[in-house]
Amino acid sequence: MSGSELAGGVLFHLGPLAITDTVATTWGVMLFLAIAARLLTYRLAPRPSRRQTIAEGVVAVVERAIGEAVPAGAVRRVLPFVASLWIFVLAANLAGLIPGVHAPTRDLSATAALAALVFASTHWYGIRARGLRAYLRHYTKPSPILLPFHIISELTRTLALAIRLFGNIMSLEMAALLVLLIAGFLVPVPLLMLHVIEAVVQAYIFGVLALIYIGGAIEPGETDEAEPSRAVSPAAAGAENSNDKEES
Amino acid sequence: MQFDWTTFVLEVLNFLVLVWILKRFLYQPVLTVLDSRQARIESEMAQAARLQQEGASLRQQYAERLAQWAEEREQLRQQLQQELGQLRAAGMEKIRQSLADEDGKARVRNAAATASHEAGLIRLAASEAYRNVAAMLRRLASPMLTASIVQLLLEDLAALPEEQRAVLRSAAEKLAADGQAEVASAHPLDDGTRQQIARGVSAAAGRSLPVTVSADAALIAGVRVAVGECLLHANLLDELAFFRRQNGRA
Repeated sequence: MSGSELAGGVLFHLGPLAITDTVATTWGVMLFLAIAARLLTYRLAPRPSRRQTIAEGVVAVVERAIGEAVPAGAVRRVLPFVASLWIFVLAANLAGLIPGVHAPTRDLSATAALAALVFASTHWYGIRARGLRAYLRHYTKPSPILLPFHIISELTRTLALAIRLFGNIMSLEMAALLVLLIAGFLVPVPLLMLHVIEAVVQAYIFGVLALIYIGGAIEPGETDEAEPSRAVSPAAAGAENSNDKEES
Repeated sequence: MQFDWTTFVLEVLNFLVLVWILKRFLYQPVLTVLDSRQARIESEMAQAARLQQEGASLRQQYAERLAQWAEEREQLRQQLQQELGQLRAAGMEKIRQSLADEDGKARVRNAAATASHEAGLIRLAASEAYRNVAAMLRRLASPMLTASIVQLLLEDLAALPEEQRAVLRSAAEKLAADGQAEVASAHPLDDGTRQQIARGVSAAAGRSLPVTVSADAALIAGVRVAVGECLLHANLLDELAFFRRQNGRA
């Protein structure tokens, strides 16, 4: 178990950039998703075909899930980012099932990049929805004393987001590798089934947490009394509570 | 657990590119189709709601029209019944009037028939009475009664009103110069009586008229003097006939 098993090994160099298998696999996943998206949405018709029904079903389900967490006016704005998170993380997780291919999400650099994007997008959507002053002011609510704790919470939940996905996928692949080395060639098959379930669950968790963070940034919390005109949705409240539990 | 900044940055860029690709080739086309379908569904729903509203409106109008027709039909029925009642009443009144007229005519006809019948009975009774009186007078008739009646005739001729006297004179003047007064008597007259009659008639007629006497037992008693077209009745038969005529007029 070398270091390249945990972080992607360098496949080649592109100028000064060292291209690891994580990046290469990510490009493969991106190519696959781009082709799939193009095929699914080729010649859309008012009366949907089977493949169009699949595409519409995926988008409609994601849109409905996002609509339960963020205000209706922000759903279409948030949808591309959150839906892409779900789809990419799921595809990246499942890429580990291909023999000889490592899932990009078992690389901390990749999960950290996704977590950093979630961190950035949370503030981006929050500032766009509420304005910079109002958004920054919510860190001082209900009391300015809580400002350091809010900042620590922001950083730790982002770190937890990256570590959670990385740890689960990495440990899963590691377990499968160990079983393959110890037990034989066909024994890891049940473990691969567990891999599928784990891939789906981790993708769902990652996307839901990102959605909750973004929803919490867009909508004011219960203690944000400075803006009484903004209603507190149950989804946002639940997101904050989940966030607190996650941090604890 | 190693961290590679190059991979980190490339993964960030990769994901942003993936977001753009999926947004361009998946989300936007599908959302556009979903929106257009939703818009079409809403349009069709709105049209269906409008059609439903129009249907409800038409149904309400139809119900109101039916109610109006029912009301008009009821009014026409009542009007027809009223007109039929009026026609029936008018017809009944006309029938009653006709029956009353017929009843009046029948009453008149009955009264006329009764009167005619009564008159016939009266005439029959009078005729029978005259026949009986004539039979009784025939039994009582005698030359003396004839002489008495002649005396009464002479007295009446002497006191004859001027109008009747003028009529008698006019009839006498129309006679020829040798004209005569014809005397029919129920009984034979003696010469003295004949001369008295000739004198009395001549005095009343204003000229001298000889008389010729004939017998006529039908006169019962008395005489009938004919001066031209003028007749002087002084006998029971003519008196009975006179009374009979008078009674018939009454």
